This record gives sequence, C-alpha cells and structure tokens, in this order.
Amino acid sequence: MVAAAPIGFRIKQRRRDLGLTQAGMAQNLGISASYLNLIEANKRTIGGRLLQQIAQQLDLDFDSLTGETERRLMAGLSEAASEPSMRQAGVDPASVPDFVGRHPAWAAALLATLRLGRAQEQTVAALSDRLAQDPVLSDALHRVISHVTAIRSTAEIIEGGDALPTEMRERFDAIIGEESGKLAEAAQGIVRYFDASEPGSTSGIPSEEVDDNFIANANHFPALELAGDEMRKTLDSIAGGLDAALADYLQNAHGIAVRATSTKRADGMQYRNQARFDPASRTLEILDNASPSTRRFQMAHLAAHLFAADAIAEAVAAGRYSSDAARDWAKRALASYTASACLFPYEAFLQDAEHLRYDIEMLRQRYAASFEQVAHRLVTLRRAGASGVPFGFLRADPAGSLSKRFPLPGLPIPRSGTGCPLWAIYNAFQTPDRLVRQVAQFPNRARFLFIAHTVTRRPTRFSEPPFLRSVMLICDTIFADRTVYADGLDLSARGVETPVGPTCRLCPRKDCQHRAEAAIVPL
Amino acid sequence: MASKVLIAEDEANIAELLRFLLERVGHTTRWVADGKSVLDVAREWQPDVLVLDLMLPSLSGFEVLKAVRSDPAIAGLPVLMLTAKGQEKDRRLAEDLGANAFVTKPFSNTDVLSRVAALATG
Repeated sequence: MVAAAPIGFRIKQRRRDLGLTQAGMAQNLGISASYLNLIEANKRTIGGRLLQQIAQQLDLDFDSLTGETERRLMAGLSEAASEPSMRQAGVDPASVPDFVGRHPAWAAALLATLRLGRAQEQTVAALSDRLAQDPVLSDALHRVISHVTAIRSTAEIIEGGDALPTEMRERFDAIIGEESGKLAEAAQGIVRYFDASEPGSTSGIPSEEVDDNFIANANHFPALELAGDEMRKTLDSIAGGLDAALADYLQNAHGIAVRATSTKRADGMQYRNQARFDPASRTLEILDNASPSTRRFQMAHLAAHLFAADAIAEAVAAGRYSSDAARDWAKRALASYTASACLFPYEAFLQDAEHLRYDIEMLRQRYAASFEQVAHRLVTLRRAGASGVPFGFLRADPAGSLSKRFPLPGLPIPRSGTGCPLWAIYNAFQTPDRLVRQVAQFPNRARFLFIAHTVTRRPTRFSEPPFLRSVMLICDTIFADRTVYADGLDLSARGVETPVGPTCRLCPRKDCQHRAEAAIVPL
Repeated sequence: MASKVLIAEDEANIAELLRFLLERVGHTTRWVADGKSVLDVAREWQPDVLVLDLMLPSLSGFEVLKAVRSDPAIAGLPVLMLTAKGQEKDRRLAEDLGANAFVTKPFSNTDVLSRVAALATG
C-alpha cells in the first residue's frame, strides 16, 4: 500500500513561493491556521472541494496538486525499497514520501535506473537459461565432444608406438583429418551462434541463492540426514508421542515453552509460517489455527536449529552465499531440511514411498503430514546407493511466480519469473484440493510427469482471499511407472502429452496460442 | 579375458575406433548405431559387456538402459555408459537407472579398456 502523496509539502512550498502566510491563506479558505498547518505537515488527508479551493488559491491545476506523478513514483520506489538488497543498504521504506516530495527529479531518475537494472537482470537470467537449456547449443556441444573424442582416441593409438599396417595407419590419418574438419566447423557454428555475446549469471537474491545451493547438492545433505536421525532418536526416547516429545525436548533441553496464541490477538504478519520464536521470553508461539502438521513441523524446525546448530552452520559455510541475508535464509532452509529428516526418517520413508508407489495422499496419512511436507521430503531422497525416484519440485503463487524450484536434469525451467501457462502447476488453481497430473513434453522432446496440488499457506477468514499456492512434483517419464500417477496412462501412446515450454520468453514454439510474452530470441 | 562386447554408438568413427581397440586386445565386438537395435542384438547375441553411448537415435541411452534392466533375458548385462564431459546430471540419472560404470567423453583409450575388462570379469 502506497502512502498518501505528499500534498502538504507542495501546498507549503507553493504558498511560500507566492509569499502567502499560513494564517492569511487559512482565512481565505475558511479554515483554521492550525488545520492548514496539519495539512501542510501531511498529517491530514484532504480531498474534494477543499482541495479544489486550495488549487485555485495557489493557481495550480488539480492534477499537479494531487500529485499523480509523485504517487506513481512513490509506488515504484516503495516496491523497490522493500526488496532485500535495498533493505540491506539501510533504505527505510517510510522515507519514500519525504524523498519524493523533496527531490522529485532525483526520485524519478532513481526509479528509472532501478527499473533498468531489474530489466537487465531478467535479461541476464533469461540468457543464462538459454545457455543451460538451448537445444541448438546442446546439440552443437555434443558434436564438438564427439569429434574431440574421435581425435583423441585416434591420436592415442598412433602415439602408442605399435607397428600398424600401412592400410590401418592411413585409415587413422583419414579419421583425424575428417574429424578435425568437422570439429572446426562445429566450433565456428557455436561462435556464429553466440555472435560474441557473453552473459553472466549471478543472482544476489537470497531465496535464489539458497535454491542454487540446494541444487548444487542434488537436494541432499548427508550430514543433516545424520543430524535428523540423531534428533529423532532423542525424541523417540521421550515418552508420549512425537508432538509431546518435541515440546518436552524444547522445554527441558533449551528452556523453551511452546504456547498456542489466539489468532484474534495476534498480528498474523509477525508469524512466519504461523509461528514465532521470541528469544527474550524463550517462547515458541504457534497460532491456534495452525494445522497439526504445521504445529509439529514448526516445533521440529526450532528444535533442529538448536539440536543441529553445528551441522547447519557447516552446511551454510560450505555453500556459496553472497550476503548475510542469504546466509540467514540458508540457515532457515537447512533447519527445515533437518526437521524434515527427523520427521520423515530416510530409510523408513523411502521404504514406505516405494511400497506405496509414491502415493502422496497415502504418505500424508501415514506421517500425519501436509502435501507440501511430503512432496519436499520426496525430493531429498537422493542418498547414493539408496535413492528414490528423482523428483523435481516447484511452487507457484496464483500470480504465476515460481517461489521455489528444485529442477531435474534436462528439465528446462526458467531461473526466475513465471513458467509456462500450460503447466499443471497453474491448472491446479482451477481445481483447488484436487490433484492434477499431466504428461508434459518440452520443445527439446524431453517428457516429464507433472503432479500438482494446491496448498493453503494459512487458514483465512471468510472475508479474506484464500492464501493458496500450488506445489508440483516432476519426474522424468522414464521413472513414471514407479509411481501411482502413471496408472491408467499409456505413456507410449501418441497425444498423451501436452506440448509445453519452459516459459514464454524462452519458448521456441511458434504456434502456441497461449503465448503471453514474446520470445527473447526472435522466432 | 576375451569377451563379447556390444558397442552402441551412433558416431561411426568412434565406433570404429572402439572396435579396433577392443579387438586388438582379444575381445569380439559387434556394433549398432541406434537404440532399438541394441535390445534385439543383446537378446540374440548375449554379450558380456554393453558399451552404451548416451546420445542415440530412436531410443536414448537412458531408455535403452531402462529397457535392458527390465528385460529378464539381459537384465544382468554389465553396462559401461559413455557420457559427455560436464554432464554430471546425466551421470546421476544413469546411476539411478542401473549403469555399472562410466567413461566421460572425450575418453582415454586405456580408461575404456580397463573398465571393459573390469566389467567383463565381474
């Protein structure tokens, strides 16, 4: 919400420019001087007839006085000021109205610069995606590697010093000549293709950096698995079931009381995921409308922070993070990972998942967990020698933005922004609480099984809009038959798949009627 | 130990080089250039080792590997995958599907020979 435009500043400045006194102008307007003082100090909002009278008195047109331009400036700058990088630089969003009122030209220039930066950032991200996913480039690199392989292998044979028959020697010479020519051709093709452009790809956005580090670890952290197992053993030694054990552990090992807080009294904004830890009073407050699975997970999350502090700190130190904000974000994410490892012990959960053929609903029931918690855990079953089906994971909001992403090999998904509007993750919003499955085929012919479901981030009152997100698990169709979600699907049949893309700006499909944005590379 | 090695590789020159290398040390080889033929030849010829390139026409190396592992007649066939350098993700996927060993392109001849020998002797 943008604060009211600083009309008061403009009234005061204009009045002074015209040489009018506050008392004199107030008298002309038929209001008290103290009321005009409040208006000029931006402590009273005004409108309607009084605003028109003031515009007349100050010889200004109505639009200039209402400050529509400034309002737009403030909206843009307020949005920018709330971004993590600006917060980190110490920018106070509350100072935006004052800044715009005092220095409108500087404010406009700053906003234009920030927008340009953001646009360039998106272009860099898109080009980075293109580098990673472009089928033409992938094919060209494959050819280069093949030619280099043939040359290297032949050279080794010739260098081996073995006496080769003349005919054979001539054949190997011919292979080197032929492959060298092809290699040069392929290399020139790549140079032409890039036309000397060289994008970079650093994010700087904490959530993206955390995602990148998880991806670099293939979504699996053995040390945290170990910590989660140890934590579970500790909890299992406490009588009374898992929830009681968690509360007991927090109280007895760390002096932390777990308390339910009424949603009537609490300011929901202060409760991340419906819970808040107050270090001063050593209290974990959980909103009383939180589901049992959320309540349990929030207790486990705090317990993991404390139980596995060293393992989490080591995992953060081993990652590549560019700011303290990103390291804080990583710490939270890794504590969630440890909590998940504790609540869904690796071996038992993998065994159950295989036995139930990855039926998420059945796993939810068995572990009294939410859809998102189960989906998240499935993605982390990547232990060498004991891995589950390789799943990717995406989470989207109703505006389309992807707020979490764990990609899969060969899955072309964008690094930032929205995905393809045809993905099941978006279809799921049309049928909340119902699972949507889809066989998706990408332009590079890669096929994936999509399983999407909406989740409610927190309960809402009747008068509030629902707080929905959509979560999607993704697996290569080659693994689909290990899951219940391939049942009844003939994966070899033509037409079973939906032609999709990564995102419109990267999608080469010329004939898609759902295109919402032009491709970054002309088609 | 002389063994039967089936080579699935769509690049003719690479296939020719692999055959030369393997036959020079006493192995018997057969070569197929597309994914579908691998399965037919493997069932009929019963090789001791399959050298399988990832990028094959008709069926990819991944699909061939999955089909091999799910066919009782050839499920136990040791498979050496040829993957491209820098494609660690491919290697992970191949591991999940049951590949026994990997050689990264561009490979060294001695590496290929030692891995084939190790797979052939079990």
